[in-house]
Amino acid sequence: MSDARSAAVAFLRAAWTPAALVAALLAVVVVASALGAEGGQVAITEMLIRVVVVIGIYVFAGNSGILSFGHIGFMCIGAYAAGWAACDPEWKGLMLTGLPAFLAEHRYPMPVAVLGSAALGGVAATLFGMAITRLSGIAASIATFAFLVIVNSVYANWDTVTAGTSSMVGIPAVVGPWTSLLFAAIAIVVAYLFQISGYGLMLRASRDDAVAAASSGVDIRRLRLIAFGVSGAIVGAAGGVYAHFLGILTTDTFYLDLTFITIAMLIIGGIGSLTGAVVGVLFITLVIEVLRALEAGVTIGGAAIALPHGAQEVGLGVLMALVLIFRPQGIMGGQEVPSPFPPAGSGRLRAGRIPESENGKFVEPVR
Amino acid sequence: MMGRRTEASVALRHSDTDDRPPGVANPLPSPMSATLTHASDCSATDLAAAGISVRFQGLAAISEVDLTVRRGEVLGLIGPNGAGKTTLVNCLTGHQRPSEGRILLGQMDITGWSPQKFRRAGVARTFQSGRLFKDMTVLENVETTAVGLGRSRRAAAREAMDALDWLGVADSAERLAGVLPYTDERRVAIARALVVPPEYLLLDEPAAGMSDSECDELLGFVNEIPGRYGCGVLLIEHNMRVVMNSCSRIVVLDGGRRIAEGTPEAVQKEPGVISAYLGEG
Repeated sequence: MSDARSAAVAFLRAAWTPAALVAALLAVVVVASALGAEGGQVAITEMLIRVVVVIGIYVFAGNSGILSFGHIGFMCIGAYAAGWAACDPEWKGLMLTGLPAFLAEHRYPMPVAVLGSAALGGVAATLFGMAITRLSGIAASIATFAFLVIVNSVYANWDTVTAGTSSMVGIPAVVGPWTSLLFAAIAIVVAYLFQISGYGLMLRASRDDAVAAASSGVDIRRLRLIAFGVSGAIVGAAGGVYAHFLGILTTDTFYLDLTFITIAMLIIGGIGSLTGAVVGVLFITLVIEVLRALEAGVTIGGAAIALPHGAQEVGLGVLMALVLIFRPQGIMGGQEVPSPFPPAGSGRLRAGRIPESENGKFVEPVR
Repeated sequence: MMGRRTEASVALRHSDTDDRPPGVANPLPSPMSATLTHASDCSATDLAAAGISVRFQGLAAISEVDLTVRRGEVLGLIGPNGAGKTTLVNCLTGHQRPSEGRILLGQMDITGWSPQKFRRAGVARTFQSGRLFKDMTVLENVETTAVGLGRSRRAAAREAMDALDWLGVADSAERLAGVLPYTDERRVAIARALVVPPEYLLLDEPAAGMSDSECDELLGFVNEIPGRYGCGVLLIEHNMRVVMNSCSRIVVLDGGRRIAEGTPEAVQKEPGVISAYLGEG
């Protein structure tokens, strides 16, 4: 095998998972555009932004094994950061008197505003992470929830900066399916690179066995903090994109409903893999849309069927319970998209005997 | 951090056990010759517990224990169940802070350091229960240590494969660690501790539950470690035949106290050891 060819195979092997996920999302956008449904564009855009959010949560929760209920707080921080950057200066001068001059007097384009969202989300996550990475297990998860409550209270009452309980308006609503697809693709690539890096490896080791990881020289607190910062930046960016999709911000948008739906997406899809995060968003979105359509009523063979109001929430709950009963590890069960390329180091690693199956759980050798 | 000891360690890895000067027929080289041959980059330092005691809410697990592991030797640590062997290893690897006494690495007082600082200072261990990263592959298990000690992913994978190769489990590199048979699990655990060779390796009952032949095979590897990697090995082991054959020196614990220390022959003759551990009959 020539060097060029083996390098190409190595690249394809490494790029397979993110490429397959981006291709799947692209297919969804193309199909939805072709169908040309009226509300389709909005639903698809919202779904793709949720892909970014759930991937952001996954970067920390999936790799470290610590569930976070606080990430929508970073999304809130990112969304308002984008709002500060992108709102009409006249309105800002009137309503947001507490803003510093560089925000109050200027209006920044969407990419700049979203960069600011990612930066602020990342900084907030790093600072808060210094506190929560001292905790572990359920205590850390509860602390993340406390963070969500704090962010919500501060942003709902900080009138001169966030417009408090009245809405922040006038953000250019420039984000549609294609822009959000671009951000979803960036999130997928960033999350995948993090996962296959040494940081990702050590974090997953600490997730499996923290004691043994420490004995392997792994500085668990530092790694959790890095992951928390990266994950806060991704979710912050998602907030910035969401602000440019909604055009109007209220703090209620970034609270319990969004927290629970995104966590449900991650867990149903499978918290153990990037593919699980993406599949979870697609699956739950599909279920919600189908139930919503049924609530509105459909005509099958001349008979009109409409589910009672509330069927959407009940149906979603029942379905989630069923998935967790039959697949507690989520739909993907910790696996990535099956790869057509043999795993790393094929020649030498594959030379040995075929490992016999125990529980059928080992990675099947590809020849 | 990245470059620390890289060259030396690579040289160390590839040095062959058979390059000892001719005439050294003994498969267990004296401590000094191994240290000088293979690890001239590191000063000869001992890992020592100095008068350590551990009390759990007033209950003494170990009391005023002294123990010194030297590079290039296999030191046996034996004693009946509950004698405090694992607690002592926990102290020597940063998993348990002694209530009294100090842990010394050469002249350096490392009492109270975290486990990852112990490993970075060159003190590695395995666990009685294996504690492999079950949802990761065998290769990733071993790579984790190499990456944790500052290697790049590429270098980590190469060194991890070398370690797995040496322990005869390279064929299982892509299997999930959680589904390995017991004997392979132990070998992977040793590979994980040995990759980026430490100066000291503390093995907590690596052969527990193995048949005699499996046990002999594993101890064959353990006996080669000092010569091959230039490190000192502390071996907790219940099988007396194995301990007597493998170890150049033995420390005996009973009831949390050190009751004997010496060569296998000398320790076997100690009346205290005979009554406490070997039994009267």
